[in-house]
Amino acid sequence: MDDKKENRMVIEAEVPMGTVHPAALEPYRLRLFVEDEIVRDAEMTVGVNHRGVERIMEGLPVEKANSLTEKICGICSNIHIWNSCRVAETALEIDVPERAIYIRVIMGELERLHSHLLYLAHGSEVLGHETFSMRIFYIRETIMDLLEMIGGNRVQYGSAVLGGVRPRCELDEMRIKKLTAGMDLVEEKLTAFADRFVSDPMVMSRITGVGVTSQKDALRLACSGPTLRATGVKSDLRTEMFEYYPFDFEVITQDDGDVKSQLLMRVFENFEAIKIIRQAIRDLPDGPITNRSWEMQDTPITKSYIEAPRGTLYHSYALEDGRVRNCVIRTPSMANIGAMQYSAIGHHITDAQLCVVQCDPCFTCTDRAIEIIKL
Amino acid sequence: MSLKSYSRGRAVHVMLVYTGGCNGCDIEIVNCILSPKFDAEQYKVFLTWNPREADVLVVTGPVTKQNEQPLREIYKAIPEPKAVVAAGACALMGGVYKNCHGDIPSEEIAGPVDQIIPVDAKVPGCAVRPQDVVAGLVSALPLLLNAE
Repeated sequence: MDDKKENRMVIEAEVPMGTVHPAALEPYRLRLFVEDEIVRDAEMTVGVNHRGVERIMEGLPVEKANSLTEKICGICSNIHIWNSCRVAETALEIDVPERAIYIRVIMGELERLHSHLLYLAHGSEVLGHETFSMRIFYIRETIMDLLEMIGGNRVQYGSAVLGGVRPRCELDEMRIKKLTAGMDLVEEKLTAFADRFVSDPMVMSRITGVGVTSQKDALRLACSGPTLRATGVKSDLRTEMFEYYPFDFEVITQDDGDVKSQLLMRVFENFEAIKIIRQAIRDLPDGPITNRSWEMQDTPITKSYIEAPRGTLYHSYALEDGRVRNCVIRTPSMANIGAMQYSAIGHHITDAQLCVVQCDPCFTCTDRAIEIIKL
Repeated sequence: MSLKSYSRGRAVHVMLVYTGGCNGCDIEIVNCILSPKFDAEQYKVFLTWNPREADVLVVTGPVTKQNEQPLREIYKAIPEPKAVVAAGACALMGGVYKNCHGDIPSEEIAGPVDQIIPVDAKVPGCAVRPQDVVAGLVSALPLLLNAE
């Protein structure tokens, strides 16, 4: 016992942040233990936003529960309702029409575009470069208009329903034309932005070599999504999902694991998303968009994994008399919290906020069920 | 128009407080003040996160139990005259999180915003549209400009 006491490092200076803080949109608490302005340890606490969506979903009819999952997150709302429908569709063996799958993929990729653009805008703002932030926000408005056109709402556009997509989200000729034009515009503007961004020596020197997560650490912390891919691991659930089989796209990886690779990672993924949307519009099959011929039955707990813009999203529930039982949801930011803490260690305290933001945090969805462990 | 209200009207600072919603409203509000499309900054409306320099408090979310005390303290820290805008269905009546199974109140939610601090303007919608947020802010402005 005495040996342990000798080895213990005592860091006296602590910089607490939160729960309401200017640089963070969402409330969370970050404790930074500093020594000569260098962060030696970091601790992040969430739990302020817990609303208990699983508790509310328990016992709801499955259609209602699906539309409730959309309210878990305001950024990646479509992916939640898609995955929740996927659980019931797998359990009840519902055949989804091919056209509906294509429309779901288009919505999912549009959402990936707007989520990544929001990340870039937020990242540029934390960097202190408001001009880049404004430019990205302006590009993002094009995507928001397209989402509003298809879903009817700017944020909560629940397109997926059990067995297909809502009739509102049917893509007619006018919408396809607008989508094509929008994709061309976004690609042109994003290319110009990317050229300007990487050729700016001030920004590059600010983000190169900062907030490094090594590949070994990222694998050990079980990170997922772009945060993992930015450390050089080629892991993307979209390569294994049957919805994405017809599409040809590349899994983007970056080598360094610092803020630069994280930011560029999102820029390149946006181009891949545009590529997928173009293929989906070109090959959009004809036919119905919903399959109404299915019967409700009791099923055991069914799982579904999906690649959300931030990483791997997990939903599972059982069905009993058409109602949801034992619902579990696991969101991607939960896995990436470890990377946020580790990447700040060893860097200057002014970069701590950047290190947190680089992992694309969404603590709203992360506040899931609280488990009380008795010690 | 007095000198005070003249100068106040030229620098309205909006503070956004997030109390446990789904993040959709927050991004729309930041979007409507900062982003170049809606751009409330051209009407001299600025976003701040310091309660001591804020004039208007925009609250989103259904106020979880953990967030109740911080919200009261932020409200106290804002100097007079002040206006409070509740934005989004959650802030107005608790939204989808207020009740479990019909009418059993959820144990996580401390109630809509107007049970905790006085609300001057309400902006409905799930999620709020930026145009509505601008309209809500404008309807709260007379409280600031006509104050002594």
